[in-house]
Amino acid sequence: MSSYVIEAAGLSRSFGSTRALAGVDLSVRTGESLAIMGASGSGKTTLLHCLAGITRPDAGTVGFRSGTGRVEVTGLGERERSRLRREAFGFVFQQGLLIPELTAVENVALALMLNGMPRARAEEYGRGWLDALGLAGMEDRRIGQLSGGQAQRVAIARAQVTGAAVVFADEPTGALDSATSADVMQALLDSTTSQGRTLVLVTHDAEVAARCSRIVDMRDGRIVGERVPA
Amino acid sequence: MIARIALLLARPGSAGAAASVLPVTAFGIVTALLLMVLGGAQTFWTWQDDGGVLYQALAVIALALLVVPLVSLGGAAARLSARRRDDRLATLRLLGATPATVSALAVLESVVLALVGAVLGVAVYLAGVPLLGLIHFRGEPLGASGVLLPWWALVAVPFAIGSLAAVSAVLGLRQVVISPLGVRTRQEAPRMHWLRLVVGLGVVALAFGLMAVLQVAPSVLVILGMLALAFGGSIAVLNLMGPWVIRLVAKGQARRAKTPARLLAARSVLESPKAAWRQVGGVAMTSFMAVFAGTGVAVLEVLGTAPDAESDLLLADIRTGILITVVGSFLMVACSVGVNQAAGILDRGDLYRSLGMLGMPTGTMDAARRRAVMSPLRITAIGSAVTAAIVMLPLTGVSLIVAPASLLVIAAVLAAGIGIVWLGLVATRPVLDRAAAAG
Repeated sequence: MSSYVIEAAGLSRSFGSTRALAGVDLSVRTGESLAIMGASGSGKTTLLHCLAGITRPDAGTVGFRSGTGRVEVTGLGERERSRLRREAFGFVFQQGLLIPELTAVENVALALMLNGMPRARAEEYGRGWLDALGLAGMEDRRIGQLSGGQAQRVAIARAQVTGAAVVFADEPTGALDSATSADVMQALLDSTTSQGRTLVLVTHDAEVAARCSRIVDMRDGRIVGERVPA
Repeated sequence: MIARIALLLARPGSAGAAASVLPVTAFGIVTALLLMVLGGAQTFWTWQDDGGVLYQALAVIALALLVVPLVSLGGAAARLSARRRDDRLATLRLLGATPATVSALAVLESVVLALVGAVLGVAVYLAGVPLLGLIHFRGEPLGASGVLLPWWALVAVPFAIGSLAAVSAVLGLRQVVISPLGVRTRQEAPRMHWLRLVVGLGVVALAFGLMAVLQVAPSVLVILGMLALAFGGSIAVLNLMGPWVIRLVAKGQARRAKTPARLLAARSVLESPKAAWRQVGGVAMTSFMAVFAGTGVAVLEVLGTAPDAESDLLLADIRTGILITVVGSFLMVACSVGVNQAAGILDRGDLYRSLGMLGMPTGTMDAARRRAVMSPLRITAIGSAVTAAIVMLPLTGVSLIVAPASLLVIAAVLAAGIGIVWLGLVATRPVLDRAAAAG
């Protein structure tokens, strides 16, 4: 059985006349942390979106392997891809993008409620994750009452609470100072790879990338290098 | 300079056509409605007899009731203008444009959209003149020539709509911050005191007392004064208590919510109960007026207190006027809701897109925002109707027994009005679909 959780082959994607991906092959191993680096416009976010089933590539395939077998992500319709993202993947964005009118615990619980879990149980799980990420006592605060780093931890809890096999993070520390950035990155790694889950993140920050187990570099829509941080 | 920049900004943006079409359509409907009411009122002004004065007074009341949702619509359209040009206005601020310049641009755009809509509204009104002429008052159709306004009125009304759009745009922009980093809505602190409830209940009790002792009033003038006090006082109370009640209900809904859509809707209302009230508050007055006046008319008709045929016609006409005003008011609220929703969706575009990426179905997002409007709307419409029914309690009870059909008509019109607002929400679904598109 393959140890790859995600296998992408020949991915191409264009936006108008701009070619964002030009034939990318990439496999992500179960339990690894993979950093995708590159300059702005190199295609790294588009690659992340294709791997996560957010965007459908113009050509190429993405496969996702879970305990129940292999799913051809690129062959799924919009509804099935939404379901896959909801149930099997977690996401952390640069700005957190949490729902401002909900409390911290409600933001986390929402991910479970979308999968049909009763609210009381979902909030119980949510509180557990927030506690584990150092936010005990802040569960009932609204997002505006949290600092940037705290909000990002809520986003990590939201990404993890469903037991996501893979967490995709797009510049998760991009809006944070270096000390908070290190804390958030540690929390992200603790809640993913330390527990056998997989982390795929896009970053500009070499220090953040250096904490991952593998780095791929992109330029002009292609992978131009791959390395293991020292 | 501002006009030149405005021309550059007039090129299509990323928000899609709906963001321009909605305010234009909304202003078009508002203009057409205003012209129709004015056309009808014009006929009333040709009546020189004593009864004519009463009709003129009623027309003024109807116009006053329509102005409130109109002002709210103007503000919503301005906020939409600011948000649909979000990135461009923020870039201008970054380039050194003053807050006054970018505000002027948003106001100018709002006025242009209002004027385009108003011109379309004039066309709709002109097309509707033959139908409008068929409406019966005093037992006769008004006639197409009677309801056709003079040319100067057809110029003056769009001008007035444009001016109103400018004023309400300035007021509406006070809730929006245009900074070099983007456009965002100011958050209001949702603080409301329970004292509102005490004052409100006190005024409703006073109004009820006034209505109870109406028959012992020494003269018609005193009766009219008491009626005006009861009506005006209750309306003021609705504005005082509305946001408080909406917040109270939403708090309970948030606590009990079992689905994501219900939780999101309740929390979004709690974020600013005042904003939720402003969006649908126009309905409160209309709904109150419909029950207040409708009950009175129904009882008078059935009890046969109308001394002659002319009074009979007056009662029938008041009922017609109530129905027209209720429908008009709901149409305006529907427009206001549509424009407000489009603005709200664009304001939260990044959030909707991220929720789409997380796998939240667009249907859930849509259900949440629909519920966030419909729940306060139902509270407003039904709460105002119940308040009116309480103030008119003896008469409401009588009319329920002797003229249930009249009350049913009022209830049906209110239900239809709620349906119109729902349609306004459905119209903004494409804006949401576009905003939430993940890929």
